[in-house]
Amino acid sequence: MDALILLENTLNACVAGLVIGCIYGLMCVGLSLIFGIMRVVNFAQGDLLMLGAYAAFYLVVGWGVLAFLGPNTAPFVAAVLAGPIIFALGWVLHRFLLARVSGLRTAGSLDEGHFGQLIVTLGVALILQNGGQILFGSTPRAVTTPLSSSAWLIEIGIGDTTIFLNKARLIACLLSIAAVIGLWLLLDRTRLGRALRAAADNPTAATYMGIDVDRAHRIAFALGSGVTAIAGGLVATYLSFTPFMGLDFVVIMYAGVVLGGMGSLLGAFWGGVTIGFVQQFSALALPPQLQNAAIFVVFLLIVVLRPQGLFGRSADRA
Amino acid sequence: MLDITGLSVAYGGLRALSGVSLLVEEGQFVTVVGPNGAGKSTLFKAISGIVRPEAGGIRFAGEDLLARPAAARAHLGIAHVPEGRQVFKNLTVRENIEMGAYPEAGRQRWAETLERIHSLFPILAQRESQLAGTLSGGEQQMLAIARGLASAPRLLMLDEPSMGLAPAVADMIFDRISQIHREAGLTILLVEQRVAEALELADRGYVLETGRIVLEGPYQTLLSDDRVRRSYLGIGEED
Repeated sequence: MDALILLENTLNACVAGLVIGCIYGLMCVGLSLIFGIMRVVNFAQGDLLMLGAYAAFYLVVGWGVLAFLGPNTAPFVAAVLAGPIIFALGWVLHRFLLARVSGLRTAGSLDEGHFGQLIVTLGVALILQNGGQILFGSTPRAVTTPLSSSAWLIEIGIGDTTIFLNKARLIACLLSIAAVIGLWLLLDRTRLGRALRAAADNPTAATYMGIDVDRAHRIAFALGSGVTAIAGGLVATYLSFTPFMGLDFVVIMYAGVVLGGMGSLLGAFWGGVTIGFVQQFSALALPPQLQNAAIFVVFLLIVVLRPQGLFGRSADRA
Repeated sequence: MLDITGLSVAYGGLRALSGVSLLVEEGQFVTVVGPNGAGKSTLFKAISGIVRPEAGGIRFAGEDLLARPAAARAHLGIAHVPEGRQVFKNLTVRENIEMGAYPEAGRQRWAETLERIHSLFPILAQRESQLAGTLSGGEQQMLAIARGLASAPRLLMLDEPSMGLAPAVADMIFDRISQIHREAGLTILLVEQRVAEALELADRGYVLETGRIVLEGPYQTLLSDDRVRRSYLGIGEED
């Protein structure tokens, strides 16, 4: 009997890890665009995620613009819409602040603008967190959907072992996968995507090709912001949050991007999935407050054993 | 086609170019030679818009280049093959060439140029899906030239294409450059430290020293000039 319970727990941890991991993967992909590919240090990434969650909250609950879609659909539509909203915000942030400390302006400098980016984005993070507290209040919010308290049950036919698939999380997982695939196609297959990668790879040479590098960086930054915000909207469907939620997630995102390998978008996704797994598996044996510690143990192991990341492609990107 | 007058560039307080005037006519092959630090790369960067001159003018095909932002200049038909190749290391060879074809002219003539590139540098066709960062120095140089050609440019600017290459590979690169000029009649501006080879290819040459043009003329004149022979070709010292 014990063996069956263990099997059930393990399988459920696997599935939950995969499902949560895909959502983590999506937020990691957002950071990967900004930090892994464009090489901009962004400490405010977690707070862009928070804004995504609040955007979804206001669309569904606060202002109720999307309430007519019903509680099963509205939260997910809102999460997707949080993408373009935070894309616009990311665009403005880059236009007025980050452009001054990144891109061509700092391409040749000793630190490539990292010090400036660190200070600017840390400041933006503080403003967003505390401004969020003023505007949104500190009451924990949630974009509730009845789906987050119901599950699909899958019996696998060994004893009465059952796998529980939380409906809200599964839908969030599938939307995350769709968003990652969409973004990957954009970067890999389109002229714009190639221009973004070229601008990230070698800004000076990209200018020689006729690419407006500042604009390319702005689009990439806004895209990365929007993608992470979608993940924030999805997280909001199963987790209650406050304006300080970003702090928990920024750690996950950086760990995921470095785990997956700095320059690789899909690597960042798998990095996020790995973290989801580690978190859920550690829950089997460890008390919840040690889950983040478990993430860091795995993180350190990978950094020691495979410094270029799980999916890192080239040495100079590690 | 390219008309530079009285161009001066300074980095901080350091003057890199002072009062440089240079003319490249349509279909010509013009070479700028000179020692390290003479300002050759700065000249190219000013033409491409990466550095802003403090005085002087640059006109290209009748347009005032200085009024155009850097990213717009490639679209006018200027291809810059930079010093040290600067290929997109994390893009494939194919994608690098596609990036070269970013301007409208390059896209329109894509099929034709790609075929031409592959006939000039067959190795690039073989390495098509390899990341550019994994190529050898010579192959990266070929890729950088190919990327420049892909934009179907009106002016091809080459910055020290022989730098860091084995002599045989450098010779091969010079052969290809001369072939490109002969066959397509492409206007070329070449900057080189390998003075003898570079001047031999050119219709006209300029000698740049510490930011100033010290000598100019058709290549026969330059090759027979005592100063050039002594300082760059290492001949005539016994006179």
